[in-house]
Amino acid sequence: MAGVLDYLQFVLAPQVITGLALGVAVVLVALGLTIIFGLLDVINMAHGEFYALGAFIALALGWLGIPFWALLVLVPIAMVPIGYIVERGLIQRVFHSGERHVTTLLLTFGLGLVLEDSLRLVFGPNPYRPETPIRGAVEIFGIFLPTYRLFLIVTGAVIIAAVAFVVYRTRLGAIVRAAAFDRHMAASLGVPVEQVYAGAFAFGIALAGLAGVLLAPIYSVFPTMGRDFILMAFTVVIVGGMGSILGAVVAGLLLTQVQSIASLYISPVWTDPIVFGIMVLTLMVRPQGLFGRLGHG
Amino acid sequence: MRLSKTFVATALLSTALAGGALAADPIKIGVVTPLSGTYAGIGQQVRWGLELATKEVNAAGGIMGRPVELIFEDEEANPSVAVQKAEKLFEISNVDFLTGTVNSGSTLAVGQLADRAGKLIATTVSFADSITGDKCSPNVFRVNARAGQQSAALAAWLAKEKPKASVFYLGPDYEMGRSTVAAFRSNVDRVGGKSLGEVFAPLGSKDYTQYFGQIRATRPQVLYTSVAGNDTVRLLTQMQEFGLLNNLTILGASGTVTAQNVGAIGDAANGYVTGVGYSAQIDTPENKKFVDAFRAAYGKDPDLYGADSYGLIYAYRAAVEKAKSTDPDKVREALSGLKWMTPQGEKVIRAGDHQAVQTMYVVRVDNGKFQIVSKVPGEEAIGPDTCKRF
Repeated sequence: MAGVLDYLQFVLAPQVITGLALGVAVVLVALGLTIIFGLLDVINMAHGEFYALGAFIALALGWLGIPFWALLVLVPIAMVPIGYIVERGLIQRVFHSGERHVTTLLLTFGLGLVLEDSLRLVFGPNPYRPETPIRGAVEIFGIFLPTYRLFLIVTGAVIIAAVAFVVYRTRLGAIVRAAAFDRHMAASLGVPVEQVYAGAFAFGIALAGLAGVLLAPIYSVFPTMGRDFILMAFTVVIVGGMGSILGAVVAGLLLTQVQSIASLYISPVWTDPIVFGIMVLTLMVRPQGLFGRLGHG
Repeated sequence: MRLSKTFVATALLSTALAGGALAADPIKIGVVTPLSGTYAGIGQQVRWGLELATKEVNAAGGIMGRPVELIFEDEEANPSVAVQKAEKLFEISNVDFLTGTVNSGSTLAVGQLADRAGKLIATTVSFADSITGDKCSPNVFRVNARAGQQSAALAAWLAKEKPKASVFYLGPDYEMGRSTVAAFRSNVDRVGGKSLGEVFAPLGSKDYTQYFGQIRATRPQVLYTSVAGNDTVRLLTQMQEFGLLNNLTILGASGTVTAQNVGAIGDAANGYVTGVGYSAQIDTPENKKFVDAFRAAYGKDPDLYGADSYGLIYAYRAAVEKAKSTDPDKVREALSGLKWMTPQGEKVIRAGDHQAVQTMYVVRVDNGKFQIVSKVPGEEAIGPDTCKRF
């Protein structure tokens, strides 16, 4: 009995909690991705690079002496006009063709390559490790957890709740969902649909940038950092239901827990096939994902 | 008559010029090394070591009167990139000798390329035993200590200091990681330690926390790891943040903690022990001179990569001067069995497998300094020659 308790406290519990920190990180990246898909019907292949861009903007502003806490606000604000311009200047131009999914996918994919190489040209290929804003560790029931990871879990939960509140419980969210559900009807009721689309894209990009600021102290900042999370984020969006915020949260936490707990028994490298296996099964059995699309619930 | 005299003079002059140009024609050495990515810091030491030795050799009149010229290419610690860059150096820059590869996979891949091209390569960094073992090649040399040599020295220390210790292994998931873990594991088993399990993480992992579960579950007294470069920085600092370094002794491969990354690891490196072929603390006049010159040129201490890369240029000079040619076949002949002086003392290239034999040290990190705690003669650490290809 003592052995079991000991195992729960010193082996399983720390693994679940570190998995939770990873889960929140994945959800933060997937959130913007799923909103852009749910509202605009655009698969944003450049999402990982916008996440990297956010981290690099934070890095550069940090060099100018701006404190981390200010960056949490400044970087998403800086990302909004970038997202707005990309949507109006690039995506809108191919959005109305019949092959919308293909054209927007190729466009954002190309944009991602350009962004990644631009970051490499400006900052070089090597990783930067920003100072951890909160140092030290806390000990809860004998479980050691770096304070910053705890901060990440709490802040991430707050951000996710705030996003869900805006989308589901405010007038602005209702307008956005209406535009996503039926753009012609919304337009005829006086909703400025194009502005809403650009705004929603900018919002998704701002979230990616915020994820970049939050995760940079843990995962370092380098031009290809977008690739690390994007595969997992896409998996989460597919399993959770393309465009569903609740789905992204549930699938994100579920899949990272599967990875964490499986890592106790098999090599962590081999947990990727399990996660992608779950994705394949979801696509076969329930192609719409665990939860339906945003605006279609 | 007058005309023919001028003609002869011109002919003589042009021969002299051509001869002069020939004498000053540089000996080109290709260097394919990671200048970016996880192993960029290692590539930096390789570059410094090679450049310092080249500067000294050129100042002393070059090799057979010809200056040495280094041509650098970035391999990104990626075997497929290394092969492309090496091919470019062999075919376009027409180098006869190539070095610098860090990733053991890169060394093996570039070695195969050298076989086909009839050129020679030498690694000054790669650890995987197979490079001078079952995957040996007549065209590949290694002047640094391989995994087996490092492990023999470290296991002797472990048997004395922590007899019957329980050990968990964490290596990078490629040739070098598998080879170092296998080599140390067999040594631990030999000296009576207990192996609890092993796990391999991809090169360049950003987050090692997923790997901590198995470490917690098995409760080892000793963790052996062979990650290197920036990976060690992340692994050890994350272990410290998660409170895993308490009551745990960390042992590692030679390249895990070095002068290049010890600063970034900070006090998480304290107490770390490794078996290694070089330490800046080696107390000999040759090494003191080398360390002083290195510090004066680059403002940093050399680590094993810098020292072994520095030593290689002198090995190549000795071999070319012995062969009186840069022709790969003649230089191969001269390198086999070559004895030469390096900052860490005399090294010998074993003719049977092209592996350098050298004194091995056990080194412990105390407050960022690498203190030598014991020493094993080269012959005891080298192990049998398992190369069957030549």
